Amino acid sequence: MGLSRREFIKRTAALTAASYVGMNLPFTNEKTVHAADADSWHKGTCRLCGSGCRLELGVKNGRAVALRGIPESRTNKGYLCMKGMLFYKLMGNNHPERLKKPLYRARKDQPFKEISWDEALDIAAKEFAKAVKKYGNDSVAYYGSGQALTEETYIFQKVMRGGLQTNNVEGNPRLCMASAVGGYITSFGADEPIGSYTNFERASCFFIIGSNTAEAHPVLFRRIMRRKLDNRDRVKVINADPRVSPTSRIADLHLQFEPGTDLALLNAMAYVILEDKLYDEDFINNYAVFRMGKEKKQVDFKKYKEFIKDYTPEKAARTCGGNITPEKIRKAAHWFAKSEGTMSLWTMGINQRKRGVWANNLIHNLHILTGQLCKPGADSFSLTGQPNACGGVREGGGLCHILPAHRLVKKDKLRHEVERLWGIPEGRIPPKPGYHTVAMFEAVNQGKIKAIWINCTSPAQSLPNCDKYRKGMKREDVFMVVTDIFPTKTTELANLILPTAFIFEKTGVYGCTERRSQLTAKAVDAPGEAKPEVWMVREWALRLAKELKDPVIKKCVEPFLGKEPDYELPKAIWDEYTQKLTKGRDNDLRGATYEVLEKLPDGVQWPAPTKEWALKGGTDIKFVRGLDPLADKHAKNELPFQFYGPAHPDRKLWIWLRPQKGPEEMPDSQYPFYLSTGRIIDHWHTSSMTGRIKELMRANPYAYVEINPKDAEKLGIKPGDMVEVVSRRGRNVLPAKVYVGPCEGMVFVYWHDQDEDRMINRVTKDAFDPGSKEPEFKICACRIKKVSGPKPLTPFLVQLKA
Amino acid sequence: MPIGGFVINVDPERIEESLVRLKGLAGVEIHGSDSKGNVVAVLESATSEDMEKMVKDIMKIETVFSVGLTYFHAEDEVEKKEYRKK
Ligand code: SF4
Repeated sequence: MGLSRREFIKRTAALTAASYVGMNLPFTNEKTVHAADADSWHKGTCRLCGSGCRLELGVKNGRAVALRGIPESRTNKGYLCMKGMLFYKLMGNNHPERLKKPLYRARKDQPFKEISWDEALDIAAKEFAKAVKKYGNDSVAYYGSGQALTEETYIFQKVMRGGLQTNNVEGNPRLCMASAVGGYITSFGADEPIGSYTNFERASCFFIIGSNTAEAHPVLFRRIMRRKLDNRDRVKVINADPRVSPTSRIADLHLQFEPGTDLALLNAMAYVILEDKLYDEDFINNYAVFRMGKEKKQVDFKKYKEFIKDYTPEKAARTCGGNITPEKIRKAAHWFAKSEGTMSLWTMGINQRKRGVWANNLIHNLHILTGQLCKPGADSFSLTGQPNACGGVREGGGLCHILPAHRLVKKDKLRHEVERLWGIPEGRIPPKPGYHTVAMFEAVNQGKIKAIWINCTSPAQSLPNCDKYRKGMKREDVFMVVTDIFPTKTTELANLILPTAFIFEKTGVYGCTERRSQLTAKAVDAPGEAKPEVWMVREWALRLAKELKDPVIKKCVEPFLGKEPDYELPKAIWDEYTQKLTKGRDNDLRGATYEVLEKLPDGVQWPAPTKEWALKGGTDIKFVRGLDPLADKHAKNELPFQFYGPAHPDRKLWIWLRPQKGPEEMPDSQYPFYLSTGRIIDHWHTSSMTGRIKELMRANPYAYVEINPKDAEKLGIKPGDMVEVVSRRGRNVLPAKVYVGPCEGMVFVYWHDQDEDRMINRVTKDAFDPGSKEPEFKICACRIKKVSGPKPLTPFLVQLKA
Repeated sequence: MPIGGFVINVDPERIEESLVRLKGLAGVEIHGSDSKGNVVAVLESATSEDMEKMVKDIMKIETVFSVGLTYFHAEDEVEKKEYRKK
């Protein structure tokens, strides 16, 4: 590279960064030839978490060569993290290990062989049709992903429900977001957060519980940090977590409670709010009711006060252990209630609990009691882990009990409405919800499911107690199709592997944490014969229609026939979904056409019933008259807030009486430690992608077990020693990281590692929340023991055995 | 040789000492800073792996709160990584 060109690129880099913070540099790059860095730039969304960071991909000679953030984007304001910086390495022909050809084997003990797409789709259709004919419609299933595009989830579930007449449609958001969904619906009457990221710049108190935001959502954390640093004295940050993490760095108060005592802590904060009269009586009178129990029985404020009496800060401090004192609880409650705007943030630490929905409810309770909602900076905001768990799976109908646009399967009226909109006969979609995730893989174990299509996720590694469920996936009488871009622990158990196009190699929409739908259009070609899923499903459905002699299956894909797969096809699917299915629903997206999305640097927040509204970016805060068009439309009185969510006919916010409940499995004399799991900044989920970026892999080549120094000393464990982590279900052997991260009595293991010895979901427990059916990944009991001194280890990733 | 444009956020009360530390790192060019603790920097390295290491080293400085990437160019590396059959 010539010096001048290199200098040019360096100046571009400096100018780009300077423009973000309004700094003037003594040089410009105007009048220089811009082609030096890329031929063309393409807007899109980062794929590696739920923040929805927008960026432009620079393409030169058909290859991805550069990235820059989009400063006008309301999600990331142009910033990216290291994962975001490197993910172009997986695109197009940039990575040699991408899956490029359909692969098939009749038996799982045979090697794979390459086949053509025609053969592959014929096989997939024949196997599904065979299962349906012989064992009935519920013997087939789809297991999808919060990383699939909305168009993909939508068309898969349409063919499964309308075509194959089964609600066995699930997805991995069950493992991460289901409790947040349950919490929003039972507390606010409608899924997804009320406010937006804009509250980061307006909040005066952040209550971060069960989220290592700094590592899991680094770009959003940057905004929180900026807010704190610019207003050091005015803005308070409370971090509540059994583990000290990089998020604690900016905290004014760290509440380190023992795992599984979160409900007591939250109720104790409510106790202080009542005792010290910090609640907002008008807000409660106007907008809230109190409820309890399975029957959702309405009770009065007095009853709630009696209930909360059991959670004095003194008693809760004893329950919570760790560093919790009554004074800390009081301080947290006062900051929370008295700030001009309090924003709570949480992720898996709250959701992946036996009582995850309750934990969500208790956070919402604090906001309802104090009126910390619907005003600037006030929000009860769950962060999503995947880029399209909200947009695709929660909104697009990707779970066994929901149809597109927040409709419940079991409601006849809503089901028939969907059938009508699809132009298929009434009664075609069965009234019974399908299997939820754990039940689905249990049904695979029992041989009740005979054919399953797993798309863009790796349950063989990501399910809790995964050995138990791998047994089922290994069965020769269970036919498994797996679509992915790389080999995974799950492709290892497949009969048919279908190579898919990656982001920027196909077109579609992701909906991020803040109800915002954002479009990424194709910019580079997929490698080899990899194809977009929407094309696969359409072609598969046509074959299924023939095999089963069922014209209704064809009817499901009829509007999409003849469309070119890279742009026209996903556009037609998006149009059907938004214009027909979301019309009149709370996530009305009719204004958010591809045409509108293309015009915006980021995207559109629903509700966005019209193009005019969508072009402004949509709805920043739901339920507020004057800010949310549906709040005006559905207004029933003069009050400024209108809680019109579909699940609460009384149009009220519900304050719940929920008692403390520990985890399913408590430490005991045999298994004396709590085991918790989570992520590290460089890796994402099962590391099938980040593990293949060598920079990220070398930075963290294997998982560790983090042990508190006091425990390590008692057990004679030194840094780097090989330590056995054993539960009632399985065993890992990992190197130790002795570190004041986890509290005493608790160990923490990263879950990305694919090595059999270090795959922690062999050890975790598959207990789940009875409401949301989300597993309790965050807590189980284990014992640990040093097995040897440090050992040289090699990183491991599944390779294709063709 | 990848090139990255970054905004590094340092503790606004300890800007000077942060700049000294940052300037001490090889491959880091500082283009400016402001009173809020925003530091505009260009990082240049032999491989993007080295870039990642540099970012990690910067994060280790205790007055640094975050490292935000705004622009990244790696064309040479992509060219080198062409996996041409034959
Ligand atoms: S924060 Fe998430 S979406 Fe943003 S660049 Fe990083 S991985 Fe991508």
